[in-house]
Amino acid sequence: MDNDYAIWASNLTKYYGDLLAVDHIDFGVRRGEIFGFLGPNGAGKTTTVRMLTTLLLPTEGAILINGYDLSRQPYQVKRQFGIVPEESNVYAELSAWDNLIFTGRLYRVPRKERQQRARELLETFGLQEKRGVKVQFFSKGMRRRLTIAMALIHRPAILFLDEPIAGLDAQSARAIKGLVRELNAEGTTIFLTTHQIEVASQLCDRVAIINHGQIAAIDTPERLKRTFQSVQSVEVALDGGELKQQEGLAALPGVTTAVKRGDKMRLYTADPAALFVEVMGYAQSRELRVISLNTLGPSLEDVFLAITGQEVGTVRHESGRRSGRKRGGG
Amino acid sequence: MRKEGLLARFGDELAQAWAILVKDVRVYYFTPPMIMMGLLMPFFMFFSFSVRRGMAPQAGVAQLLAMTTFFTASSAGPVIIPLERRTRTYDRLLAAPMSLVTILAGKSLVGAFFGLAVSLVPLVAGLVLFRISIADPLLLLVSVILSAGVFSTLGILFASGSAQSPGQVLMPSTLLRWPLLFISGIFIPLEQMAPWTRAISYLSPLTYAQDLLNHAVLGSGAQSPLLDLVVLPCLMALFLIPALKLHDRSRRLGY
Repeated sequence: MDNDYAIWASNLTKYYGDLLAVDHIDFGVRRGEIFGFLGPNGAGKTTTVRMLTTLLLPTEGAILINGYDLSRQPYQVKRQFGIVPEESNVYAELSAWDNLIFTGRLYRVPRKERQQRARELLETFGLQEKRGVKVQFFSKGMRRRLTIAMALIHRPAILFLDEPIAGLDAQSARAIKGLVRELNAEGTTIFLTTHQIEVASQLCDRVAIINHGQIAAIDTPERLKRTFQSVQSVEVALDGGELKQQEGLAALPGVTTAVKRGDKMRLYTADPAALFVEVMGYAQSRELRVISLNTLGPSLEDVFLAITGQEVGTVRHESGRRSGRKRGGG
Repeated sequence: MRKEGLLARFGDELAQAWAILVKDVRVYYFTPPMIMMGLLMPFFMFFSFSVRRGMAPQAGVAQLLAMTTFFTASSAGPVIIPLERRTRTYDRLLAAPMSLVTILAGKSLVGAFFGLAVSLVPLVAGLVLFRISIADPLLLLVSVILSAGVFSTLGILFASGSAQSPGQVLMPSTLLRWPLLFISGIFIPLEQMAPWTRAISYLSPLTYAQDLLNHAVLGSGAQSPLLDLVVLPCLMALFLIPALKLHDRSRRLGY
């Protein structure tokens, strides 16, 4: 392992009884990068993160955090990172200020410095006016911001973020994504665990996809997408097209699968150019006006679904709920 | 650059345990389970057993001190630790740069201080209302502190399983605390017990605490106060060691 890595996991393994949750995985997170850790439910994401953050003992393997060995130097390791878990674990009975000061005391930040840092963080996270208010009266977004602020009180080199924007309104989500980028620009390494592939795609320098306890892929989002060039698609919106007619698109030659997305259909194909022509012909023959027609490369979500063995292009509603009914296939 | 070394580490851990104590006092002392199990229950129990027994005020204060310390100090762990597990705030402590011993020491202090604070109520009532005299005030201080410490660590041991709700710990722990209360020398003095029941009573930490408090308040007890003074700290260690093992086990099993 060279010195460029903020996190290094080697042969990391976790058994719960006979159940193998994490299966001898190896990966490294470079200093200063935003690293996405993706995987379906039960893939081993949370177990891995809990092992990296000392909350769970690995069955086998080694973890180095900023060069410190977790098994032999746990105190040094714990000073290197801050954690923002999926659930905002703040003390609801204390004020924002008291939550920050308590966390600063746990990390032995000197008194003057922790007060100064708490003021800075309240300002940065837009909580200055609420500093004396008990957290039980905070909105979900405010609690989230406070949880991140608490993780930063000791100026950690690495920040573990678990689903940082899950359940937040668009404004709060955007603010937190902005803060993550700023923190990263200031040099903090970010380890981001999320189900929201789009978030990972927007934020991450590299992503790892874990499935059945093993790392299935690890690379930059763009390189991963290039690996899956077969997952290309044509997205079409037809005016006056009833659902039945739109679904007829799924039967066009070259379509492997089709997904209905709002008023559009996304048709997956290995040959977008040929399908483009087919779609135009289909619209003309039924006197349907084409509102929009685009060819699309694979998204990170497509890559994720392909890697995790879930069918790309399964017909589903806009909300993302899968209907279970497969379409297409030419 | 942080100062390293054993002494600096020890100072850090003391400060961290104190931070946990101060935070927990502010967050949990006035929560309903703490008030119910720690404050009201020992007083109700005392009155239900002492009414019509014609007990001397001095003996009553010694008993009430033992019971309040026992119930109050041993309630903190079963209330606080499962609550913190449920809200995931316990993870905050586990991920902070301190040892598990420090976390449990901090939590034990929370229970011990609660026990000490509540035990002042019968003591002040005895001194002011009944004008009782204390045979050995220094021994009283030592005995209340020791008792609060032992019972608090007992509470930590109760809470060392995987439960994430105070009710899951409080109910079984209360079932265990009642027999410990009845086999101790609180309701039937050790001197009046049959040899076999007296042998059983030595299994209860409350027996030693009550005896030591009797020495301190009344000036006499059933056994040597030295024996109580040796046994009580040993019991504290005896409760903390399996608690540490159980907490470590939870880090292996992941709850």
